[in-house]
Amino acid sequence: MAATSQIMQNGSVAGAAVHPLSPRRRRWLEPHRLLGHVLALRWIALALIIVGWFVYYPIIDNFFVSTTNQDIFTGEVMHVGLENYRRLADDRVVLTALWNNTAYALLSILFQVFGAFCLAAIVEALRSARWRNFWRAVYFVPSAISTTVTGLLFYFIYQPNIGILDGLLTGLGLEQWSRVWLGDPSTAIYAIIAMSQWQGFGYSTLLFTIAIQKIPQELYDAARMDGAGPLRQLWNITFPLTREMTGMMIIVTITGAFQVFNEVMVMTGGGPNNSSQVLGTWLYQQGFIQNDMGYAAAIASVVFAVTMLAASAQLWLTRRRRVLV
Amino acid sequence: MMKRSFQSLTAILAATSALGWGVASAASTEVADPTAAVEHQGHLVVLTKFGMQRLAPYFEALAQQYEEMHPGVTVELIQEDDDSIKGKTKTLVASNSVPDIYFSWTGTWGGNFIRGKRAVDLTPVVGPGSEWGKTFAPAAVDAFVYDGKNYGIPLYLDAKFMGYSKTIFADLGLEEPEDLDAMLNACDTIKDAGITPISFGNKEAWPGIHYIGQLLAYNVPREVLEQDFDPATAEYSHPGYVAALEQFGQILNRCTIGAGVNGVSYQNAIQDLSDGRSAMYYQEIIEFDNAASASTKLSPQDFGFFALPAPADAAGDPDALEGAPEGYMISSASSNVPLALDFMKFVTSQDNAKVLSSPPYGQPSAVVGGSDAAQMSPAVVEGLQSIADASYLMQWLDTVNHPRVAAAWLSNLQAFIGGNMSAEDVVTEVREAAAAAS
Repeated sequence: MAATSQIMQNGSVAGAAVHPLSPRRRRWLEPHRLLGHVLALRWIALALIIVGWFVYYPIIDNFFVSTTNQDIFTGEVMHVGLENYRRLADDRVVLTALWNNTAYALLSILFQVFGAFCLAAIVEALRSARWRNFWRAVYFVPSAISTTVTGLLFYFIYQPNIGILDGLLTGLGLEQWSRVWLGDPSTAIYAIIAMSQWQGFGYSTLLFTIAIQKIPQELYDAARMDGAGPLRQLWNITFPLTREMTGMMIIVTITGAFQVFNEVMVMTGGGPNNSSQVLGTWLYQQGFIQNDMGYAAAIASVVFAVTMLAASAQLWLTRRRRVLV
Repeated sequence: MMKRSFQSLTAILAATSALGWGVASAASTEVADPTAAVEHQGHLVVLTKFGMQRLAPYFEALAQQYEEMHPGVTVELIQEDDDSIKGKTKTLVASNSVPDIYFSWTGTWGGNFIRGKRAVDLTPVVGPGSEWGKTFAPAAVDAFVYDGKNYGIPLYLDAKFMGYSKTIFADLGLEEPEDLDAMLNACDTIKDAGITPISFGNKEAWPGIHYIGQLLAYNVPREVLEQDFDPATAEYSHPGYVAALEQFGQILNRCTIGAGVNGVSYQNAIQDLSDGRSAMYYQEIIEFDNAASASTKLSPQDFGFFALPAPADAAGDPDALEGAPEGYMISSASSNVPLALDFMKFVTSQDNAKVLSSPPYGQPSAVVGGSDAAQMSPAVVEGLQSIADASYLMQWLDTVNHPRVAAAWLSNLQAFIGGNMSAEDVVTEVREAAAAAS
C-alpha cells in the first residue's frame, strides 16, 4: 500500500525525477508531423498486409493445423492437441531425416562456406583479370543449371554398372569401391549432398568474390610491406573483413539445408527404405501421399523451429558490427 | 543455390489450410442425370495420367477435336505421369480445386473420392442396364463400383506381364516357363550367357510391389487378401505373405542385378529390354508398345510375354492376374456435369477407343469393340485375351491398400531388396502399419 501510494497521478514514482518529453519526441508528436507519419503508413501498409498474410499468418496457421488430424478427402478435422508432436518423437524416419538435414548443413558449411571462401580468395589473388573472370564463370556455371536437371545428370553418373562414377573407379582399378550409390542406404544421402555441393559451390564462391573485391587494396599493400605472407593476409585481412558475408552464408546454408527438397525427390524420393528422407520430403510424403496433413504440419513446425533457432543463434554470434575500413 | 520448392511446399500446406480451406469441406454427392440436356458452353478441366511424351498427344487431340465440334467449349488439360499424379491429385483435393474430370485408379484410391463425396454417382449413366454402360467391358465397369454404385468411367484395361525377347530365348534354347522354378532356371541360363535376365528398376519403389502383388495372388487365397486390405480386419497372418517375399527374393538374386535395382529407375529398366541389354522386363500391358516399337532395337515381332509364372505349390490362385482397369471420375463440384459426361462419351467412342488401343498409345480400351486387332500390336491383342481369361484381377498393392499400409509395403520392400530386412520383418511392419491405420 505504501508503495502504491507513492505512485503519482502522472504515473511517475514519488521521489523520482519527472522526465519531460524530449525535444525530439515533442517534435514527433506535433499534429502536422503526426499526420505525416500516419499518412506515411499508407506506403508500407500494402507490404505489411502481404507479408502478414503470406508469411506470418501461414506460420501461425500451420501450428494450429499441426494440432489436428485432417482428412483432405472428407474435410473432417479432429483436434488432437499435441499428439502429432508426440508421434514425431516416436517416428524413426524423423530422426533419420533430422540427421540427414544436419549432415547436409554441416557438409554444406564446410564446402559452400569455408571451401568457397578459400576458392574465392585464391581466384581473387590471381594477377590476370582475364583468368579471374574465366575461373569465376567456370565455377558459377553449375549454379545456372536447374536442380531437377542436375539431379537427373547425377542420377546417370551414379547409375550402377553403366554410370560414369563406377566406370571411373573401375578404370582406376578401384572397382571394390564401386557401389549402388543411390540404392545403398549408407551412401544415398551423401551422394545427394555431393551433387548439391557441386551445384552450390560456385554461387557461394561468387558471393565471396564480391565481398573480397570490396576490401581496399591498400590493406593488402600495407600488410605486404609489413612482411605478411598470403596466409597471414587471408587470416588477418580477408577473413575479418568478410565476416558479415560469412555469417550470412552460414545462415543461408543452414536454413537451405533444412529446406532441401528437390534434390532428394529427383534422385531417390527419400529411399531406399526412407534412408535419404529429409524433413521436407517426409513432410511431403505424410501430407500429400499418406493424406496426413496434421502430422505434415507438425513436421513443418519442426523445420521452422530449427531454422529459426539457427538464424537467431547465428545473428547473435555475428552481432558485432562490421569492421569499418 | 538451395531449394525454393520447399518453401513452396510449406506455403501450399499452410495456404491450403488457411481459413479452413485447407481441408476443404466435401461437396454433397451428386447423381448424374442421364436425361439432362447438354449445353455445349463452358470450360472443362481434365486431369489425365497421360503426361508422358508418348501418351500426351491422345488427350490433346481429343480436346482439340471436341473444341472444334463445339466452339463454345474450351478444354483445359492437366497431364501428369504415373508418379506425379498422386501428389497433384491430393494437392487439388486439399485446395478444393478438383478438376471436372479426373483420373482414378480402382480400390482405395478411388474410394477416397467416394468417401469424401467428391465424385458424381454415375449409376444412372454407366450402371447396369444403361446405354453407355453397355459399351464397356462389364468387369471394367464393375471395378469402379463402391457400395453398389458406379463412380468411374473405365478408359483402358491394365495388367502385369513378363515381357521378353524371343530372339534371346530362342538363341539360348529357352521356352516360356511354366512355373516359377522354370523361370529361375531360365534366368541362370541367360546369366551364364552374359545377359541380364530381368532388368528391374525400383528407385520409385512401386515396381517392386508389383512383383509382390502377383506373388501374393498366387500364395494367399483371395478372401484372405481382401480381408487384409481393410485395416479394420487385417491380420497378415497367412504364411503365403512370407512365401511370396521369399519367392521374390529368389527372383531378385537369380534374375536381376540384386540390391542395385534400388538405384535404377523403372524407365531405365524398360529401356534395357528395348535395347537388348536384358532378356525380360516385368511390365504393364500399357507399356508393351513402349518396350517394343519401330524405333527400338526390340521389334514388336520379337517381343513376347507371359504371366509371371506361379510357384508349383501355390496356396492362392494360380490363374489370378495382377492388374486393374483405370478410368476417370466426374467431380461433384463440377459446374457442368452433363458437359463433362458428354466429353467422356466422346473420349470413349468406339473410334477414339481404337486409336487408344493402337500404337503408339497401346492402351487396350475398356470399350467393347474398342480395339481393332488389325491395327494393334499382336502382343497387346494377346494380352487382352489373357486378361479376359484370368480368374480375377488382383489390384495394385499401392492403390488397393490404405496409404499408410501402402507406404509400409513400399519402403520395407526396398529394405528387403537391399538385404536390410527379412521377409518376416517386412510382414510385421506391414501388419503394424495396418494396425496404426485402423
